[in-house]
Amino acid sequence: MDLSVLDRLKWLQQQQMVSPEFLQILGSDGREELKRVESYLGNNNDELQSFRHFPEFGPDYDTTDGCISRTSSFQMEPVKNSGHNRAISLQNKRKPEGKTEKREKKKIKAEDETESSMKGKTNMSNTETSSEIQKPDYIHVRARRGEATDRHSLAERARREKISKKMKCLQDIVPGCNKVTGKAGMLDEIINYVQSLQQQVEFLSMKLSVINPELECHIDDLSAKQFQAYFTAEADSKQSIMADFRSFPLHQQGSIDYSVMNGTKDQTSSSWETHSQCLYNSLRTDSVTNFFSLK
Amino acid sequence: MERQIINKKKRVFSLEPNKNPSAVFTRKYTSHLVPALKKLNMNKNSSKQTVKHEVDMALALSAQEFAWSRFLLQKLSSSTNPTATTSSSDGIRILERSNKEGGNEEGEIEEKLMELQKLLPGGEEMNVEEMLSEIGNYIKCLELQTIALKSIVQDST
Repeated sequence: MDLSVLDRLKWLQQQQMVSPEFLQILGSDGREELKRVESYLGNNNDELQSFRHFPEFGPDYDTTDGCISRTSSFQMEPVKNSGHNRAISLQNKRKPEGKTEKREKKKIKAEDETESSMKGKTNMSNTETSSEIQKPDYIHVRARRGEATDRHSLAERARREKISKKMKCLQDIVPGCNKVTGKAGMLDEIINYVQSLQQQVEFLSMKLSVINPELECHIDDLSAKQFQAYFTAEADSKQSIMADFRSFPLHQQGSIDYSVMNGTKDQTSSSWETHSQCLYNSLRTDSVTNFFSLK
Repeated sequence: MERQIINKKKRVFSLEPNKNPSAVFTRKYTSHLVPALKKLNMNKNSSKQTVKHEVDMALALSAQEFAWSRFLLQKLSSSTNPTATTSSSDGIRILERSNKEGGNEEGEIEEKLMELQKLLPGGEEMNVEEMLSEIGNYIKCLELQTIALKSIVQDST
C-alpha cells in the first residue's frame, strides 16, 4: 500500500513537471481548456488532476476524451475547445490524412483549420472522410500537405485539375503527344496538329476544285466510295480501292459488304486512334509536301 | 464480282450505324458535300474559294451538336469571302517560333492557349476549359473531314 502511494506521488510530481511544458504547447488558451477539462473530471481530486496530462501519454484515454468532448457538452463551448480536443486527439490517434498532418506541428495552423472547419463545417468534415460530394454546390478538393487552404487557392486548384484532366484527354486524341511532357510542349503539338489538319483540308478542297468539272460522271458512285476509304484503316490508303458495289444508298442502315484489295485488313469500327494515326502519318510524309509543291 | 460474292459474308459495318459517332458524322458530311459539289458543277462557277466554302459549310452542318460549329456557321453565313486559314496559320506559326522566351513559363502557356483559341472557330468567346473540350471534338471532325475529302479526290482521279 505504502509503496503504491509513494509511486503515485512520484508520478504526480513528474506530471507536474511536465505540465508547464504542456501548457506552453497549448498556449495560454490551453489553460482555459484544461480548466474546463478539470471541471468536467472533478476538481479537487489530485489524482484526477493528473488525468489532464494524459493527452500526451495516453492515446486510449485521449480518444475517449476527444469523443466525449466532441459529443457532449463541449459542443456548446466556444469554438476553440472542441477544436483543440480534436487537434489533440488527432495528433495521436487518427490516421494521418492530408489536413491532419499539417495540424501536427503548429498550433496556429490548428486554429486556422478549426475556424475554417467550423465555418464550412459540412464541407471540411466531408472532405476528411470521403471525397464524395454531399451538397452539389460545393467543390470538394483535398488539400495536400504544405498547400494553402483558403478558398481562392482551393478553387484555383480545382480549376487547374480540371484543365489538366482535359489536357490528358487531348493527349490521347492527338498523336505524338505521349513523347512530349509538360503543358507547353503538349499545347505546341496540339496547335501544330490542328494547323496541319486545316492545311490539309484546304489543300484537298483546292484539289477538289481543280477536278470538280470531271466529277459529274462519278458523282453517284462517290457516296459509296466514301465508306471504303473511311473504313480502310491502312496507312497507305492511296492505293486504288476496288469498288464493286454501286448500289449502296447513302442512308442505308444496317450492314453492307464491301471488297477491298487488301482484303485481309478488315476492321470493324475502326478506333479513333488508328485513323488519326494513319492520317497523321500521311500528313507527315506525303500530303504536306504535295501541298507545298502545289503552291 | 466474284470477290464481292466471296466477301459478302464479312460484315464490317455495325448493325447500328447511328451509334458510332464517326460514322454518323461522315455520312452526314458526305451527304451535305456531294450534292453541294454537284450544284457547283452545274453552275460552272467552281472557283477555289467557293469549294472551300462548301467544304466548311458541310463541316459545320454535320457537327451541329458542338459549339464551334455554330460559330463556324455564323462566320460562313456572314462573310461571303471565307477566311483563308492557311496564310493566317502560317503567319501565326512563324510568330510563335520567334517568340520563344526562356523565362516566363506561365505566360508561354497562356500564349499558346490563346493561339489555340484562335484556331478554333469561336474559341475566343469560350473560357479555357470549354475550349479544351471543344478542341478535341474539332480535331476529330477535322480528321474525318480530311478522310472524306481524300476519298472523294482519290476516287475521281
